[in-house]
Amino acid sequence: MKRAVTIITALVVLITVGRHLRPTDTSDGFNINEFSELPVQVGGRIKPLDTVARNTLLILASRQQVVTPSGEILSPIEWLLDLTMRPEKADTYRVFKIEFPDDLGLPGLAQKGQRYYSFNDLLPHFEELNKLAQKIDPEHKKRTPYEQQIYSLNQGLTLYHRVMHSLHPIRSKEGLDQLIDEYTSYKSLVLPAMQELRKQQAGEKHDTALLRDFIAYGDDYLKLSQTAYLRIVPPPPPASTMDDWENIGLDLLDVIKGEPISAYTTGYASLTMAYRANDVTMFNQTINALRERFIADFPTEIKRVHFERMFNKLQPFAASMELYVLAFLAICISWLRWSTTLNKVAFWLLLFALIIHTVGLISRMYIQGRPPVTNLYSSAVFVGWGAVLLGAFLERFYRNGIGVAMAALVGFCTLIIAHHLAMDGDTLEMMRAVLDSNFWLATHVVIITFGYSAMFFAGMLAIAFIIGGLFVRSFSQKSAQSLSGMVYGITCFATLFSLVGTILGGIWGDQSWGRFWGWDPKENGALMIVIMGAILLHARWGGVVRERGIMAIAVCGNIVTAWSWFGTNLLGVGLHSYGFTDKGFKWLAIFFLSQLVFILLANLPWSYWRSDFGNIQQSRKRSNRV
Amino acid sequence: MMSQMLKNIASVRLTVALLSLSMVLIFFGTLDQVEYGIWHTQKLYFESFLVIWKYPQTWPSYTYLGWIHIPMLGGYAVGGLLLANLLAAFFLRFKFSVAKLGINAIHLGLILLLMSELLTDFLSVESQMTIIEGERSNYSQTVRENELVIIDRSGTSQDIVHSISASKLKPGVQVSIPKNDLEIKVIAFYKNSILGRGTEQQVQRLATRGAGAKMNILATPTQIDYAEDAINTTTAYIEVHYKKEVLGTWLVSNVIDERFPAQKFQAGEKNLEIAMRYKRHYYPFEIELLDFSHEKYPGTDIPFNYSSKVIAHHQETGTDQQALIYMNHPLRYNGLTFYQASFMPDETATILQVVRNPGWLLPYISVLMMGAGMSFQFSLHFTKFLKKKAAQ
Repeated sequence: MKRAVTIITALVVLITVGRHLRPTDTSDGFNINEFSELPVQVGGRIKPLDTVARNTLLILASRQQVVTPSGEILSPIEWLLDLTMRPEKADTYRVFKIEFPDDLGLPGLAQKGQRYYSFNDLLPHFEELNKLAQKIDPEHKKRTPYEQQIYSLNQGLTLYHRVMHSLHPIRSKEGLDQLIDEYTSYKSLVLPAMQELRKQQAGEKHDTALLRDFIAYGDDYLKLSQTAYLRIVPPPPPASTMDDWENIGLDLLDVIKGEPISAYTTGYASLTMAYRANDVTMFNQTINALRERFIADFPTEIKRVHFERMFNKLQPFAASMELYVLAFLAICISWLRWSTTLNKVAFWLLLFALIIHTVGLISRMYIQGRPPVTNLYSSAVFVGWGAVLLGAFLERFYRNGIGVAMAALVGFCTLIIAHHLAMDGDTLEMMRAVLDSNFWLATHVVIITFGYSAMFFAGMLAIAFIIGGLFVRSFSQKSAQSLSGMVYGITCFATLFSLVGTILGGIWGDQSWGRFWGWDPKENGALMIVIMGAILLHARWGGVVRERGIMAIAVCGNIVTAWSWFGTNLLGVGLHSYGFTDKGFKWLAIFFLSQLVFILLANLPWSYWRSDFGNIQQSRKRSNRV
Repeated sequence: MMSQMLKNIASVRLTVALLSLSMVLIFFGTLDQVEYGIWHTQKLYFESFLVIWKYPQTWPSYTYLGWIHIPMLGGYAVGGLLLANLLAAFFLRFKFSVAKLGINAIHLGLILLLMSELLTDFLSVESQMTIIEGERSNYSQTVRENELVIIDRSGTSQDIVHSISASKLKPGVQVSIPKNDLEIKVIAFYKNSILGRGTEQQVQRLATRGAGAKMNILATPTQIDYAEDAINTTTAYIEVHYKKEVLGTWLVSNVIDERFPAQKFQAGEKNLEIAMRYKRHYYPFEIELLDFSHEKYPGTDIPFNYSSKVIAHHQETGTDQQALIYMNHPLRYNGLTFYQASFMPDETATILQVVRNPGWLLPYISVLMMGAGMSFQFSLHFTKFLKKKAAQ
């Protein structure tokens, strides 16, 4: 039996992990992998097209795949390929997610049961949408959910348009098949047009038709320079990563200054023509040429870009999330049957998930060149990681499975939270000036976030205590004692880390704006966590409350930590209020309520406690009365 | 009797209760920042003895729930009681032993921290210095506070400024400036107001001289704006007496600033100016801005770094000191600290935050004690725990 359990688990793990390692199918022969690795500059850093495709889709559709009208499933990069090179097809794909299409105020748009709409679906409503969008309050906080929906849709359409026009000018479908001709004719026009222009300025006779053609190009490219979202043309080498790249419009306008059209620009044009003509050989050759050029110009960057694409593909956090679920299931089953074997299996599963989680964290650090926590998304990833680490440690000492179960639960939940926080686009965004300090990010931010991990983990253990004590018959005096020891130990850690983190924050504050303490919401939140820890420790040392009182306080710690982590961002005041939206408010409220329920449960009279531990307490109380 | 009381004050129960109260205070003191901004909330909640939280008008169902008021102890009260609790506990239970070394360090650090916060409340002064590229400045100002000034510009190298803090200006208040045989009387004072031109019919009654009378400016008092970066239009009507003789009433306001001609009057031989302006702090040195730079991430508007290259010229010692002030790298000079705070939109002038905080080192010492104490205590616990587990 033992062997069978192990083998089955190993198989499940293999399948889970294998799904992430599966190679992308390069059907039709186009070298999509290489295409997805072409570097562009956007949002202040150089990243692969793959990342752009994924982030754009996340913003528009909140997911990383597209279903075509014919039912085919496209990966983000395949979608980007169509969006930029076969826009007439991409316009039929339903990529705009509208949560409540009936409430938009656009009659005739909503289709029953449909939350996804294509560009073509929305096209007839543009005028109306534009009118509605203009009435929206510019101040984000004052918008109603309805207005917010209009606003997001409008923003989404703009983004769609800007990304579509990133690789080349799109004048017409036919134009896309003759891009190289367009560039050649534009280039050949520049010199004569300049001469004609001089003649015109001197009041001499000039070729008006030629000038008109030239001005039409100029106007187009000027508009393109303001629209094109991606910067695809790097500066000539040697260039630093801090130099501006140009978008397609800017590069084409430079021709007027006498510069040649960049090989990147013509490269993308050939690529488009090849893709449209279904010319696989040409497409793959051009990609190779573009790639070789980039390797020659930026030998160090290409490694990072390649790595980022692999990171995107493997999705380590999704893999570890699935493994946490497996670990949790294994431990739950272990409490019913095959306990020793499954207990071990669950522990190893947790460790395996933790390793993948760690690899993900380190990968992000390498790509961004920053410590692990730089924004709300990465804090969620890190909180889970910290809690799992603590859980694994605890399990080494107590070996009762509770450490594994709660660690897997926290790990899973925080990664789910992270997943939902990633919907705003690039999670590897640039740090604003004040935050741009690797030293403080690595110390203050990391330590305080680890404090969150510990606090949540202690809170989860307390919940395990309450549930066990109330409902599980076999929950004995000894289990109660060991769990309460765990909660105490983890709270000690949490208090230490929160205090040290808060202190470092104060020192950072003093260094950067001359205030050790400013009563900023996030600072206050951190202080509340420290005080919460202090309350629990003093209450225990002073014997103010007994086991279940300690547990209720630890669950309070969950509330305080969630408040500090997310609640303070909802207030929209202070120095730390970076990105967290009203959507989060609902979930936060639900979380607070659920924790209140646990606190109430902890305070139920002993007669409701079904466990051995509860019975002992009950009889002790009786004998005290007698 | 006495020792029983001391025991009660030193009890851990009281500690837990006070810590819980402080948590409630901090929570509501954070919530109310949405209504009153950080600065005012800090005064209301943390630098007070008692505070009442009121259900905010902007929240849902205010009409039904508006009656909810929660009184709570303010920061001074909770902090003071905690301090008493802590000191009493020290007095009763202090024992020197290695095992208690960490605990003692944590609590001593906490005492020091509470004291230093109090010190900072009373002693620290924050203000801003704006310097244009290539120019110098010898003063900083706070837009949150105002001062009424009478300036004598007859000196060749320096002006003489008589300053009266706006917080002292209340209707009916009289202040004399014996040096110039002047006496001023406050006719009206508005912390925040709206200034506008009166119509022909609305004859300006209060101001008899200066811009207020000439331009027929009317000041209407309005609610104080507590928002984070709000600037209130502080205005006053000031009657000036020279040797018991009334010279007239002037309207002074912090929006009638250098952009407008100065409001002048003659007092005997002297030609003086009167104005309301942001409170200024003058220094015996000048800061010269050599260069301000603002870098952005490539291809974006996301700020990457701001920095100001400055020279401090000391007037008395004649020494110069050059420094580069940028994010997380302030200049500490002459008991003051200069931080890069902001800049003018056209990027030709820098705004430095100037902080005088004599107690700035105390929190560093106290937190070092607390951090070290806690690390020590917990590692002690942890090693004990490991030993126990190993023995099992």
